[in-house]
Amino acid sequence: MPKSRPEHHGNEYSVRLDNVSKIYKSGEVEVRALEHISFSLKRGEFAAIVGPSGSGKSTLMNILGTIDKPSHGEVYIDGVATSGMNGNELAEFRNRELGFVFQAFNLIPGINAEENVELPLMVNSAPEEERKRRADELLTRLGIGHRLKNNPTQLSGGEQQRVAVARALVNNPALILADEPTGNLDTKSGEEVIKLLGSISKSGNVTIVMVTHNPDTTKFCDKIIYIKDGKMEKQEVLK
Amino acid sequence: MNLKDTFWLSYTDLTEKKVRTILTIFMVVIGVAAIVALVSLTTGISYEITNELASLGPTSILISATQSAGFTPADTAAIASLPNASTVIPIATGSGTLFSGNQNSSVTVIGIAQENLKYIMGGNVSLYEGSVYNDTIAPDAVIGYDVAFPSTASGRQVAFVGQPATLKIPNGRSTNSYTIPIQGIAKTYTSALIPIDTAVIMSMPAAESLLHKTSFNEILLQAKNSSGVTPLTNLIADIYGSRARVINTQQLASTAANITGSITLLLVVIAGISLMVAAVGIMNIMLMSVMEKTHEIGIMKSLGFKNRDVLGVFLLQALLIGIIGGIIGIIVGTGASYSLAAISSSASHSNTTSTSSPPNGFAGGGGGGGFAGGGRGGGRGAVFVGRSPTSSGSSPGISFSPVVSPGLIAEALFVAVFVSVLAGIYPAWKASKMQPIDALRQL
Repeated sequence: MPKSRPEHHGNEYSVRLDNVSKIYKSGEVEVRALEHISFSLKRGEFAAIVGPSGSGKSTLMNILGTIDKPSHGEVYIDGVATSGMNGNELAEFRNRELGFVFQAFNLIPGINAEENVELPLMVNSAPEEERKRRADELLTRLGIGHRLKNNPTQLSGGEQQRVAVARALVNNPALILADEPTGNLDTKSGEEVIKLLGSISKSGNVTIVMVTHNPDTTKFCDKIIYIKDGKMEKQEVLK
Repeated sequence: MNLKDTFWLSYTDLTEKKVRTILTIFMVVIGVAAIVALVSLTTGISYEITNELASLGPTSILISATQSAGFTPADTAAIASLPNASTVIPIATGSGTLFSGNQNSSVTVIGIAQENLKYIMGGNVSLYEGSVYNDTIAPDAVIGYDVAFPSTASGRQVAFVGQPATLKIPNGRSTNSYTIPIQGIAKTYTSALIPIDTAVIMSMPAAESLLHKTSFNEILLQAKNSSGVTPLTNLIADIYGSRARVINTQQLASTAANITGSITLLLVVIAGISLMVAAVGIMNIMLMSVMEKTHEIGIMKSLGFKNRDVLGVFLLQALLIGIIGGIIGIIVGTGASYSLAAISSSASHSNTTSTSSPPNGFAGGGGGGGFAGGGRGGGRGAVFVGRSPTSSGSSPGISFSPVVSPGLIAEALFVAVFVSVLAGIYPAWKASKMQPIDALRQL
């Protein structure tokens, strides 16, 4: 059963990075993928992380998504420090607090749109009826209520990404991480998805962090964080 | 994640690659079917042999002459006077060919007193038609069912009650020909010791006359009680030494149990190997599936699926493969065992009636075949109660039903599931331990 998120969780920031670094060691060689990144995002903010290829954007997203751990520093999501959690705790945390939207949509191909959206609810053994109701409601809200029973391969790129957005939203998370969500879409579909994410962040009290290398996609964002060579160059508050 | 959803994900994944899943299940089917078929067949054979031996009674002792002199009434009297000895039944045996209609059948000629017939026919004499002969010198005969209805004639009756048939019996280098009136036709009756279905049975004087014997070569002895069987067997063996071979049904049962036990073990080991091959195949296919699904596993883990959820999905797949393969394997194995039993039965019946060489009698023995015992007659070596074809003879028909017991079904299913799950553990563990970040990078 998806929880209803309170307006204030006793914590002003939905996301806070405190001096996060990530160093990969390959033999004697050290690669500093991220160095001393600190920023924070308020609940409901829509932030873009912008930087050239190889700048460390994806590493930052992975760390925010708790599927990678920082070498130094701490990541707080909804006020909770994530570095001390073990694999199962992180899995539970991801399920409860995070939603992912990937460039390649990353839907499970063997099941239909509705079932893909239901997946995060399955982890908590939510009743099937409730799962379907929630998935149908979200997919209808996102304009693809008529494609519930279609498998991902039968959907257009834009439709697939909407299913992915619905899946990210279904557990009412604190934070949605979107990694180049328009990368595989045509301009029109890409713009629709960005607009959708913007409206979600405003209406749903959900913080959204989007990685992009396309400045055009940042027009609905509240904040842009520029990354280059693993370092944060600057933050730009748009609204 | 609850079991229902785990099952749904497993099932969805299995049905996604139908051909691969079917082939994986097929590997289990082959292994389980082999085990079920082989065990049920050997159990059936063992059960049949035990039954047939039991029909002779636990107190039966068979004394077979190993020398052409055979036994005389003095022997029967002496044996009857031994402690624990009860009924003494003299039997004369030989071989010949019966010609009736256009058909000829190799037959065992048995001479036995009419009143003693019941001892070799499982307690009561049941005839298909006609009546039993009288104990006279006249060669009125009761013929076995397969002699009257040979499979070479497609089960058509070729010998009839009241009609004469020609019996040819080898006598040295020549062959004597006799016309024998058929008095009765026995019902089909397979016996461990005496091939009634392929026999021409007549009175002792008639048989001795036709076989040119003045003695008989077998004595079927009943002990008073089963505890007295072994001492009596040993005593007779001591008295006769090399002149006779003495065997009792307990020894036969024990030998039969040993042989069928060894065969069962051997066959189960062979079937087990095929299951091991299936296990390696399942592991291989599941590892391949895990590799292919690495990205999907990454997606699921990013959505919050825990290690145990992923482990559960893949282990349940292995379990499903085991259960489905096991059930189909049991059905296929049962079908195969019944088919093989039917084929074996019809093939051996066909052998019995179509072979032109004389039957070997029951198990070697001197001077024209005997029921049991080592052969002195060169080439007519002892075979287990006369059931297997030898170089010089054919066997009576083997008719048995495979035994597919609930225990065998449960064991086969358990083995299928156990082997499948065992083979699935490593791939499932490997899938569950994947780091989401590494898994997501795999495309």
